[in-house]
Amino acid sequence: MGGHREKDEGDGALLRAVAAGDPAALAALYDRHAGWLHARLTRRCADPEVVREVLQDTFVTVWRSAGAHRGEEAGGWLWTIAARRLVDARRAQERAGRLETTPIDAAPAGTGPAPSAPSAEERVLTGLEYGDVGTALTRISPELREVLRATVVDGLTTRETARLLGIPEGTVKSRSTRARAELRAALAQLAPSPMGGPA
Amino acid sequence: MTGRHAPDHLIAGYADGSLPDADAWSLEMHLESCASCAGRVSRAVRATAAGPVLADLREAVLADLGQAVLADFGRRAPAAAPPAPAVVPSPLRAPRLLWAVAPAVRGAWLPAVLLVALGAVLLAHAAGFSAARPLLLAVAPVVPVAGVALSYGRHADPLHELAASTPSAGLRLALVRTAVVLAVSLPLLTVAGAVVPSSGAPGAAAWLLPGLTLTLAALALGGRLGLRAATAVTGGGWLCAVLAPVLAAPDGAVSRHLSDQLSRYVGGGAAQGGWAAAAVLCAALLAARRTAYDRLERH
Repeated sequence: MGGHREKDEGDGALLRAVAAGDPAALAALYDRHAGWLHARLTRRCADPEVVREVLQDTFVTVWRSAGAHRGEEAGGWLWTIAARRLVDARRAQERAGRLETTPIDAAPAGTGPAPSAPSAEERVLTGLEYGDVGTALTRISPELREVLRATVVDGLTTRETARLLGIPEGTVKSRSTRARAELRAALAQLAPSPMGGPA
Repeated sequence: MTGRHAPDHLIAGYADGSLPDADAWSLEMHLESCASCAGRVSRAVRATAAGPVLADLREAVLADLGQAVLADFGRRAPAAAPPAPAVVPSPLRAPRLLWAVAPAVRGAWLPAVLLVALGAVLLAHAAGFSAARPLLLAVAPVVPVAGVALSYGRHADPLHELAASTPSAGLRLALVRTAVVLAVSLPLLTVAGAVVPSSGAPGAAAWLLPGLTLTLAALALGGRLGLRAATAVTGGGWLCAVLAPVLAAPDGAVSRHLSDQLSRYVGGGAAQGGWAAAAVLCAALLAARRTAYDRLERH
């Protein structure tokens, strides 16, 4: 141990080695994942110092609890840790009063769409390979897109999203409802026939 | 994008931050389950302005590990730990340590324990209340459980965020604080039980095993439910089991019913053996799920 690791050693094997206390395995894991985690965090947080702290915290957490991960691919698990850490960092920042956000008033929740239609998230997920979702996304406003990204792509809860974006939970809910409605409308406009599965 | 790999132009766009949201989201979801694309993106990001930051951070993370390893080593072999700086011995040191180590002891819990113990003694001797011993035995097992609830977690400790970031956080800290709670409550309540007249109830020490079992059960459940909910379930469960049949009894002989009820639960070798077995079971459960405390903070 201590020499260079095989480039193609799987995440699962690396994590098992990390759990056994091998720092070289953590270094290999860092080399494979830290770069994209950094890019992904940077897309969500403009403060490079916070991104740095969150990334460091993430790998310290990996070192402490690598034994808790089951399965081969670690990317999703790493992102879950990083996203939670980012939420925590935002909350701590807010508590320190450094983050001055002026929450926009909750939008009227009366935009209620028919809940029985296939959800916009499902359409996004099944349709991510198709160009028209990209077009549809560009048609909805940035703050709605931000909520959609946190809840759909990053898998955060309403409360975590609220902390991350520095807005009240009620606003997250109303924006998420509005984002769904707008996305559904945009998709319907782009594809008049019901867009089914990924056929 | 699943099933194939990300094209180079997407990766380049993502690395320099110019990729539009829809493509970026799609790539992000792919990276969560594809280690080889994750490695390619990371390499591309290292080639951007973020490269030096990532390299610095790599050093910092690995240096942190060195400290964590040392801390682990010190924990396993205390004799090998570096000598502590010389401290001027002070007669106040032990109480101050107790103060620092257990938030429960400095909160409302300690007065509550004293109140229970003194109250029982005063009731028995000054007011001539005959049911003091059974009442004390019924309440005593809940006292350490309540102490546990006030010992660990965001809701209990104003310094919790700080404490949780130390290497000894998690179950270890919860156990240390529980030990302090037990060290305070066990002798106090047992002595109080011994000096009040028995009036047919089991011996003053009969509550020790149930109290220990309930405490361990609360800790074992705490990894799953959070300590507050777990202690409410165990403490509340005990009080219901003891008090409900007594209060439901038709005649007013509360004292006698309480004594009977307690004799059934904690009197005699069989009942105590059952509590001991349950305590061992809870301890085993706690040991098996010990890592749950590391994740407690993330829910």
